[in-house]
Amino acid sequence: MLKRLIWLAMDFPKSTILLVLLATIAFGTQFPKIHIDTDPENMLPADQADRVLYNRAKQDFGIHDLIVLGITDEAGMFQADRLSRVARVVERLLGIHGVITADVISLTTTDDVRSRGGLLEVRPLMQRVPQNQAEIDSLRKAIADNPLFTDKLASADGTALAVYIPIESKDQAARIGDELRAILDEELTPQQQYHMAGLPIAEDSFGIEMFRQMGIVSPASGGMLFLLLWFAFRKLTLVVPVMVVAMFTVAWGMGLLIGMGYTVHIMSSMIPVFLMPIAVLDSVHILSDFYDRYPRLKDRRAALRESIEELYTPMLYTSVTSAAGFASLMLADIPPVQVFGAFVAFGILVAFLLTVTLVPATIVLIREERLQAVIGSMDSEGGRLGKVLREFGRFAFGRAVPVALLAALVLGLGFWGVSRTVVNDNPVAWFPESHDLRVADRVMNRQFGGTYMAYLLIEGKAAGDMKRPEVMAYMEGLQRTLETDPKVGKTSSLADVIKQVSYVVHDADPQHRRIPEKADELAQYLFLYETAGDAGDLDNFVDYDYRSANIWVQMQAGDNLEMARVVELVDRHLERAPPPVGVQVRWSGLTYINKVWQDEMVVGMMKAVMGGFVAVFVLMAFLFRSLSLGFLSMLPLTFAITLSYGLAAFAGKEYDMPMSVCSALTLGLSIDFAIHFVQRYRCNLARLGGDLSATNAVVFGETARAIVRNALVIAVGFSPMVLSPLGPYKTVGVFFALLMLFSALTALGLLPGLLKLTHGRLWQAKTT
Amino acid sequence: MKCTSLLIILSFACSVAVQTPSFAAAPTANEAVPGLLPSSRISPSVDKIVARSLETFYYAGEDQRTRVSMRLINSQGKERKRVMTLLRKDLGTSGEQRYYIYFHEPSDVKGTAFMVWKYPAREDDRWIFIPAIKLVRRIAADDKRSSFVGSDFTYEDVSGRDLEDETHNLLGEETLGGRPVFKIESAPQAKVEYVRRLSWIDRERGLPLKEEYYDARGELLRTFSADEVREVDGHWTATRRTMHDAQSGHRTEVVFDEVNYDVGLGEDLFSERYLRRPPGQWVR
Repeated sequence: MLKRLIWLAMDFPKSTILLVLLATIAFGTQFPKIHIDTDPENMLPADQADRVLYNRAKQDFGIHDLIVLGITDEAGMFQADRLSRVARVVERLLGIHGVITADVISLTTTDDVRSRGGLLEVRPLMQRVPQNQAEIDSLRKAIADNPLFTDKLASADGTALAVYIPIESKDQAARIGDELRAILDEELTPQQQYHMAGLPIAEDSFGIEMFRQMGIVSPASGGMLFLLLWFAFRKLTLVVPVMVVAMFTVAWGMGLLIGMGYTVHIMSSMIPVFLMPIAVLDSVHILSDFYDRYPRLKDRRAALRESIEELYTPMLYTSVTSAAGFASLMLADIPPVQVFGAFVAFGILVAFLLTVTLVPATIVLIREERLQAVIGSMDSEGGRLGKVLREFGRFAFGRAVPVALLAALVLGLGFWGVSRTVVNDNPVAWFPESHDLRVADRVMNRQFGGTYMAYLLIEGKAAGDMKRPEVMAYMEGLQRTLETDPKVGKTSSLADVIKQVSYVVHDADPQHRRIPEKADELAQYLFLYETAGDAGDLDNFVDYDYRSANIWVQMQAGDNLEMARVVELVDRHLERAPPPVGVQVRWSGLTYINKVWQDEMVVGMMKAVMGGFVAVFVLMAFLFRSLSLGFLSMLPLTFAITLSYGLAAFAGKEYDMPMSVCSALTLGLSIDFAIHFVQRYRCNLARLGGDLSATNAVVFGETARAIVRNALVIAVGFSPMVLSPLGPYKTVGVFFALLMLFSALTALGLLPGLLKLTHGRLWQAKTT
Repeated sequence: MKCTSLLIILSFACSVAVQTPSFAAAPTANEAVPGLLPSSRISPSVDKIVARSLETFYYAGEDQRTRVSMRLINSQGKERKRVMTLLRKDLGTSGEQRYYIYFHEPSDVKGTAFMVWKYPAREDDRWIFIPAIKLVRRIAADDKRSSFVGSDFTYEDVSGRDLEDETHNLLGEETLGGRPVFKIESAPQAKVEYVRRLSWIDRERGLPLKEEYYDARGELLRTFSADEVREVDGHWTATRRTMHDAQSGHRTEVVFDEVNYDVGLGEDLFSERYLRRPPGQWVR
């Protein structure tokens, strides 16, 4: 019934093109409504437990996402000139819109409690810029004397100072960073360097950079695809419709997504990159087949009809199975993955529809003489490529058993590689090594306690629970355990505040830098601090009614692996020394949230792709009416995934978010090769009365050429992505190539032998 | 009372000297606000209004005893409660004052006491008594605009600022909550966290009924409101007041449970001895 549509398109080519154009414009009108969301946190559903907890913690403790600013000078920062520059920078940055002025932590904005000859002083650490060496020395001493400040506000060697800038929301980080840069460029001399670090600015900058890259990479890939197609088919009027199908598919898919009110997230921004190659596949099959038939028939309508009769079933099968595969991603419990799966599935069906209408319609519109001129004289045997493939086909057919054994061995190696996969991610690492953010990350984490923030929440049951001395002591114990981890650079909590007050109240007697044993003494120290400072001074450490507290864990590395290790460390501590009665310990903070969504993503994506795998298998077995053929068709997919990921593991590439997304690609690309090969093998075998060798030779004609052309076009077409500075784009570019290589190799190298070996035993061609 | 009027005249006299430049600037500000009277037609002068307001609000009587309930409420609506007795005594007419603050609640800090010696032209002296370790410590405060016992009020909000700390400009007259008020704009002379303060001062009673503080970005920092005004011992007193921090959403509500003026507090009360041993006559 769909086929009738194709004949209709060939009979009314102009109306078809007009109709498609109108529909595309309709989808295109949705684009201005685009709403971009670059927050990786949205990988988790809004009601996911860890996110809910993090949002509550942010409220309870007035925690905001932080930009960590570092200013360094080889000659030392503790000089009057440098300090006054920093003071001016802080003064000016308080005026930036979106900065939480009251919570900026710096030498000039943060109060210090110290004692001098029986006098308690509560003042900003640096109330005015020191004028002489003695004043500078006393400033350094004050920093060294307060554990809340050491390794936080100044580096131990005095060459770096840090300012912690809380911001209203993460999506303002890049803009605030830009305004900050302008101030820093004015206030500092070239001798001083500045660095901005922290996950919020990395995540926001990544979002912005990502869309900028889309603007560069997409046209570059499109141009490359175009060149390759032209190289393969040598006729502009035939290549243009293929590109148009790809672009229109993207327009329909993204138009619907935007029109339905979904945000364009990091994941959905990849939909065009996934749809374009899939949309090209069918067209290449049609053109390849048409080019083979046309010189023989010299009639474009007749040749087209034959091609479509031949290709209709495999194209329909591949589109349906790929779409089903992607649609099964909707079973994953990760909202962006669901959206991604749904719209890629929709796009695949659109691509099929557009291919079978637009491509024939355009071919019909080209005058016969012009086609004659280009294709008429072409070698229908496929030239050098055809020769090589025929040789290869004979080899794969003849040496079925050795090839199968070798393949099994390679697959085993692949599985071994996959088993060595290290799951790890860090949004900062998505930037190239030389990027400002990476440099800042290295410098700042060498000089300070750490720019990656995680929070360990200590939750009591009743108001005032956190004032219990044993709870405070437990917090202190947790901190000591945390600090044994090499990447935990600094922890701070209410316990540190109490100890500092006790120390200062007792005339800086180091004996008294401890947690008081009596509850009222502890409460009065807290009260002293509360009443001496500002209303919000303790907010970051304890909630308003002292029901729960918050340990700041500063980490020098933000990899999920590091976070996982620290979580494990705390788990062991909790087992060894359970918290006091009624007290619960839970993790939060951006570094932790990233670990959570990555865990969900990795496991979720793995499950989703497995689900897709099963869906595809069931569909194929049903379409081929044979379990064995269904199983054989799964091989290119299996090999592509296993070998690509195995290779990545051997190469030391860690499994991160972009890689997990790539696994879905096989559902669209590897299936195509498998179905075209198996379906056309089966048909030809039936036609040739079960002659396996003859069938193999036929399939290694046009079908093999179309598969290789597709593999080349996609692998090379998306190579510009490898040149992108952003890690995820590089990953996707490399994976396109690897997946194409392994799927094509499996389809053409392994399937001929296996089909030969299994025919008659496990499946039977319908010879009529 | 004699001292009071002397103070007003004095401050008025010196303010005229200080204020001349800002008077020149005043008409421009008025032109920008149509419908307002030119400042020359309004009497008394702006500095006189502000001086009277400071006098009424901060220097009523020779001394004052107040039992205060304070509720600190954060943006989530969670509360911390404080109950304290506040004793004040003015020394002479120079603006020097003594404060004694004794905490009854929360219960785990009962007995904690503060003492403040306030001087007009220099930093205050402050002491705290920590009952659990029976220790008195002198506290050096960073400035008069630091938080008063962790609330949204500053020490200055509680004990007053000097007329000359700011330049004043009368914006006009209006009514606020049914009361006729002067609307005054003040700008601090020194560099502090606010650059502009608007106040609505009761024309007849002299009390500020509302104040708004703005930062250099032009954003609202804090809002003060006098929520209940009563006449006590012949002095108009804001017996309920709120300070709201617009940026953090935190607010402090103060209720004067008891208030008396001219009760005869001795100067010796404001000493380390009484810090350690609260004067039972006044602290109940």
